[in-house]
Amino acid sequence: MRPIISVLSALVLVVLAVVPFAAPWLQFVLTLAMANGMVALGVAILLRAGLISIGHAMFFAIGAYCIAFLSRLGINEFLVLLVLGTMGSAIAGLIVGAFVVRYRAIFFAMLNLAISMVVYSLIAKMYSVTGGTDGMALSTPTFLWIPLEKPGFDHVLYYFSVALMIVMGYLVHRYWKSPLGYALSAIEGNELRLEYLGVSARSVLLAAYVVSAALSGCGGVIAGSAIGHVLPDFGYWVTSAQFVLIAVLGGIGGAAGPFIGSFFLELLHSASVNLTDAWNLITGVALIVVIVFLPSGLYGLIRKRRRSAS
Amino acid sequence: MLGLIIPLLVDSLTSAALIFFVAVGLTLVFSVLRVLNVAHGSFYSIGAYVAASLCLWVISAGLSPWLTFVALLASAVILAALLGPLVQSTLIQWTLGKSEAVQILATFGLFLILEDLQRIVFGVSSIAEDTPMTLLGVTSIGSVTYLNYQILLIVAAIVVVFGLRMMLVKTRIGKLLSAVVFDREMALSVGINTKRLFTFAFTLGVFLAALGGALAVPTSGAAPGLGAETIVLAFAVAAIGGLGQIEGAALAAVIVGLARVVAIYFAPQLEAVAPYIVMLVVLLIRPYGLFGNDQARRI
Amino acid sequence: MMKMTWVTAAAVALGAAMAPLHAQEKPASVGVGVFTFTSGPAAAYGMPGKKAADLMIDQINKAGGIAGVPIKATVVDEGQGTEGVIAEYRRLASNPENQVMIAALSSSNCLALKPAVEQLKVPTIAWNCDAHQLLADGKSNYYFRPNGNTVTEFAAYALYLLQKNPSVKRVAMLNPDYAMGHDAANIFSATLKAIRPDIEIVANLFPKLGTANFQTEVSRLLAAQPDVVFSALWGADLSNFVRQASPRGLFSKSQVILALGETVLQQNTLPQGVIVGVLGDGWWMSPDAQAKPETKSFVEEYKQRFGEYPVFPSMKMANAVIYMKDAYAKAMAANGGKWPSRDELAKAMSSGSFDTLTGTSTIRKDNEGMVDQVIGTTVKSPDYAFPVIGDMVRYDGKVLTPPQGEDPMAWVKSISADLLKSLPKPGSYK
Repeated sequence: MRPIISVLSALVLVVLAVVPFAAPWLQFVLTLAMANGMVALGVAILLRAGLISIGHAMFFAIGAYCIAFLSRLGINEFLVLLVLGTMGSAIAGLIVGAFVVRYRAIFFAMLNLAISMVVYSLIAKMYSVTGGTDGMALSTPTFLWIPLEKPGFDHVLYYFSVALMIVMGYLVHRYWKSPLGYALSAIEGNELRLEYLGVSARSVLLAAYVVSAALSGCGGVIAGSAIGHVLPDFGYWVTSAQFVLIAVLGGIGGAAGPFIGSFFLELLHSASVNLTDAWNLITGVALIVVIVFLPSGLYGLIRKRRRSAS
Repeated sequence: MLGLIIPLLVDSLTSAALIFFVAVGLTLVFSVLRVLNVAHGSFYSIGAYVAASLCLWVISAGLSPWLTFVALLASAVILAALLGPLVQSTLIQWTLGKSEAVQILATFGLFLILEDLQRIVFGVSSIAEDTPMTLLGVTSIGSVTYLNYQILLIVAAIVVVFGLRMMLVKTRIGKLLSAVVFDREMALSVGINTKRLFTFAFTLGVFLAALGGALAVPTSGAAPGLGAETIVLAFAVAAIGGLGQIEGAALAAVIVGLARVVAIYFAPQLEAVAPYIVMLVVLLIRPYGLFGNDQARRI
Repeated sequence: MMKMTWVTAAAVALGAAMAPLHAQEKPASVGVGVFTFTSGPAAAYGMPGKKAADLMIDQINKAGGIAGVPIKATVVDEGQGTEGVIAEYRRLASNPENQVMIAALSSSNCLALKPAVEQLKVPTIAWNCDAHQLLADGKSNYYFRPNGNTVTEFAAYALYLLQKNPSVKRVAMLNPDYAMGHDAANIFSATLKAIRPDIEIVANLFPKLGTANFQTEVSRLLAAQPDVVFSALWGADLSNFVRQASPRGLFSKSQVILALGETVLQQNTLPQGVIVGVLGDGWWMSPDAQAKPETKSFVEEYKQRFGEYPVFPSMKMANAVIYMKDAYAKAMAANGGKWPSRDELAKAMSSGSFDTLTGTSTIRKDNEGMVDQVIGTTVKSPDYAFPVIGDMVRYDGKVLTPPQGEDPMAWVKSISADLLKSLPKPGSYK
């Protein structure tokens, strides 16, 4: 069982490592895929508790706009930007989460949607502060205080994202195997029983919410840095829904799921961009197919094969 | 300042009327089927395109321009008849009883599919067709001139509110719907054909959304991206009013219309954010909306 | 298969590294990226640009191309959003076959593309975006704007208004909520106030770009009872606004100025008496345009091929293509007839004057083009089913362009009544 997964993972890592040389046009696409995967991972954390948030793009946007403002203020070192941007989203997550974790099901979804639309609309309309629908440009950050040209920075960002993705995946995996993580699944199963055990569902959820907001903010920092520009659309409800789509497509059974979903979608997009314009159609059909026939997502597919192989 | 009150009211009610059609369809479908349909806004935008195309055809075929009004209504009926039962019996029926996450995702998938279908069928440009608007002429109140068409919209919305309530109370099918809403299991065990009722309710929802899109065409035309903007606003209105509450949707639409228009008049930068701030404030005080009740807590 | 991929990658990398450095053999074709809106509400304005590009490039290719090299154009739809536009630009620029970009229509996209333009060192012609901030720092080496910018364009409207309507008092403004819209509002009102500080701005609205329903804005404008309504709306937004405001009497109650109004003349929805212009001198019916045989034949071919007359975005695009062609000729003359590199092309683009279809454009050191401004008022025409521009004026572009290096807004504020007096009067351009 384990050797197959190790071989597969090693293979994936090797492929990822050589992409900037073998297929340079994919580097940008894959960097974005990893950024999206991080947000999807955040969404997946909440999905394990049975809560669907169609507003997480707001944390993605907050992370991206944080570094845009910081860049404007003159802070130009990527690692500093990453930490501050993630913290900004985490703080936002704490504030929003404290309010929304009282709700469940459809109301949780609607509240997240409402708050994200407030954030989106403010960003889109405050032209003098945020540049409105034009967005804000980001100057190329330094890495480890070494100034870089954009192409060089893009390479560094790509490898850094791969490393970050692995670390994140591992940390979330440990989180899900920890008491806090099991408590999350318990909330979906039977919240009352959990409360009887003396565990505050709200605290568990708040912790999860803050973590998911931080992950989303991190994704926003990386996406903003890769594109070099931040836009209000980062926080639009369709973007939120797409993150949920990625999480479900990939499967929330394991921390690798959202990333699998994200890579799959981006690669599919790149492959089909010359053939057809109907990208939304393909994504929509893929989503419905997965929900109906593969409820555990693509990750579930791999896990099933694994089980049957043993 | 006083001179602004009437323009404010007329604009608010017009804006409210247009969003009401979409929101009431959404809330009705939720109330009967317990499904929140993310693709509902697509019915609005496809309705707008169908209506615009039909009106253009009426004009180019040399028929009486007054037939464009018929075209608006007809396009909503056609769309509802075509898409309602189809979507309901395939996708929506499957999502019944599943978790909200699944329902939202499935209908989001539908939304994506409909977005592209709309683009493929109707193209990527905006269509404008304002014959109904010009036919009805204008009225002046004070220094401001209004389109009589705006008044028509408000009247149409009022008719729909009363019509829906009458249907639910007075007609047989309405009473059956009410029974299903009140207690689905009981209704099933009494022998009510819920599947047919669901199809009826869903088709009615599609009709209302498409009607909203059609009625909006003479003033706003049809353009890509309309579906996404509309659905999120409709959500806000439906949530403010209380999911499943028809009169709630009407009141919420008026409040949101008022908020947006007041913003344009006095603080234009807040226009886009106003509906969502209202939604937040209302949900803070009454988490299930103005007229809503606790339906989702299940232990 | 891996080996092939490696070899190809190495070739691409090598090719990319070599391309900009020195002049080359004549390529099989010269790739040009053409950025415009081909979808969404902005396509109403963007498609005429694309049509003009198609026509001009076809004409050039029929005549043998640029020094015998055919042009291969790739059209990029700005309707996919800024993120997509940036990605497409990068993708096209990374292919050494693409030598020039004609980008973009929207000021938002130009501003977003600027870092990439300078980093990737591809000569880029900002064919339509006019927000003056783009080249304000004066440091651009690869971005060129032959068609003029907002400072000249919108100051001209304010001056024309004051010439026509010296006693104007209450002004309302309705502009799209993005860089160009805000720029337009600022420059127009600042110019007015520089000469007439007592003018009152009674409404300053910024609906989102792409708004379809302006009923509330129209009510607000009517309620404010302005003498003048100024708007830089464009595309389907403008068409919608005109259709919605007209029956409600806005055009009869106030003097309306539609800065991009010429684009909707052919829709036959504008009444007489509306002040319109072409953001430059690109009106195909202007005396200067009609005096040029190449312009008349362009218009004729355009009408034949597309079934409509061109509008000023078409002229701007055509002028951009001419600018590109002239730059190639100049660059090749400078390096002894060899095919120029991207850098040599950029050098050729950075200075000089060239004849456009409707006038002349002079490029300054900061890569801004100085173009005359044609403004007039709509009148019925005996020859066409739609209104045309009458009571015209043609302002010299050089007079209305702030001196290089001076802060444009400070210059605008310093516009004096003497400048106004020195300008040609409405009706003088025949």
